[in-house]
Amino acid sequence: MVALVIALALFFDFTNGFHDTANAMATPIATGAIKPKTAVALAAALNLVGAFLSTEVAKTVSGGIIREGSGGVQITPDIIFAGLMGAILWNMITWLKGLPSSSSHALFGGLIGAAIVGIGFQSVNLETLLQKVILPAVFAPVIAGLVAYVCTRIAYALTSRHDPETGSKLTQKRGGFRNGQVFTSSLVALAHGTNDAQKTMGIITLVLIAAGTQEHGSGPQLWVIAACALAIAIGTYAGGWRIIRTMGAGLTEVKPAQGFAAESSTASAILASSHLGFALSTTQVASGSVIGSGMGRRGTTVRWGMVGRIAVGWLLTLPAAGIVGALTALLVKTGVAGVVIAAVAGIGAVLYMFLVSRKSQVGHHNAVEVEEAGQAVRWAKKKALARARAAERAKNNNPKGPQR
Amino acid sequence: MKWLELLTVAGATLVAAVTVVVLYSLGVRLTAIAGDRQVAAPGWVKYVSYVCFGLCGIAVLFGLYLIIPYFSG
Repeated sequence: MVALVIALALFFDFTNGFHDTANAMATPIATGAIKPKTAVALAAALNLVGAFLSTEVAKTVSGGIIREGSGGVQITPDIIFAGLMGAILWNMITWLKGLPSSSSHALFGGLIGAAIVGIGFQSVNLETLLQKVILPAVFAPVIAGLVAYVCTRIAYALTSRHDPETGSKLTQKRGGFRNGQVFTSSLVALAHGTNDAQKTMGIITLVLIAAGTQEHGSGPQLWVIAACALAIAIGTYAGGWRIIRTMGAGLTEVKPAQGFAAESSTASAILASSHLGFALSTTQVASGSVIGSGMGRRGTTVRWGMVGRIAVGWLLTLPAAGIVGALTALLVKTGVAGVVIAAVAGIGAVLYMFLVSRKSQVGHHNAVEVEEAGQAVRWAKKKALARARAAERAKNNNPKGPQR
Repeated sequence: MKWLELLTVAGATLVAAVTVVVLYSLGVRLTAIAGDRQVAAPGWVKYVSYVCFGLCGIAVLFGLYLIIPYFSG
């Protein structure tokens, strides 16, 4: 059982890296600052390094959310198994439906739901949950967004050049930001490793504690850290290839200066949070930054409907994954048969997901989660408008729809 | 209560990101000035831009140094 859970957790880690490469490396690839192959390799390496940097978040996951150990309740590997299954299943559902969701919150939700059903409501440490998961989940994207807004303003103000005599605009020459993006996106990859790999470390440590092979309240062991770091790095590397294929499809237009501001705020927010043991969703923080930096540019309007849709997706994840986790816990409770059914369902789901991902055309809706956030901000652009009109005209001329 | 920690995160994020962005933007700006063809820019501008980029890099490394437990003991 313990081995099964560890394998599942590592797989979860792998998918996490698989999904989130885009957050860090999409923009520099799009602006041509860095070659795709190099970018993916760099992201993988930095994820690996990042995972070794800190263990605060892992401690939050392993020691904070579920009351384990003496004085609390005994958590069993079965419950963690159920929680992990809940998270994986919910991730698959959202992924198939194209809903914006956070795999980190799916993980917590599944775990909490499973613990409530398997042990009882008192097993959940509500205080830590509120302080280290829910509050950061709400505030970190807002903080990142505000900082990104300020940074974008500063970046544009500092580099806007006017002729001192005539007052007319000079060439802005902001190309330097493109090279800067190589560094900021590397930092985002590093930050991703520090926060997301640690969640899996926390889960594995929790299993080891539950199985009685590790002391209560201790941090993750070295081999756990190494395994998680490797899993997320391999996932990042594997996931990168999908993104390279989507690059031709075109991303939301993000100017290098904007991207630079957004990425530096994302990286700072995640790194600062990781340091204090806040477990947050890197995707959400990155989305917050993208929206914030979009608002920092002049002449933009925010599509609040889109922002609302993203927010609802975030809020739904925790309870929804909780329900799935709870159902799995019920199944597991019935005995060995239940465990087998859950395991088969989970592995089946994962296989199905893998097959679909191989078959389906990769669009940027499922490869780049931040893409949605980028669409939430719109600025009037003559070129884009003209293009849209041309497309509409083409559509009218060709009633069968666009041909591929 | 963890509000204080949350504030710390907000403050740290703001300070770190603004530092990096200000230094880098200044570097970009000065590079642009140094590259102007019509107006002859003083020679020091280019070097100051290098200093800005360098300081920006140092700021990033210092931030990482603060975070990594290995260094802070």
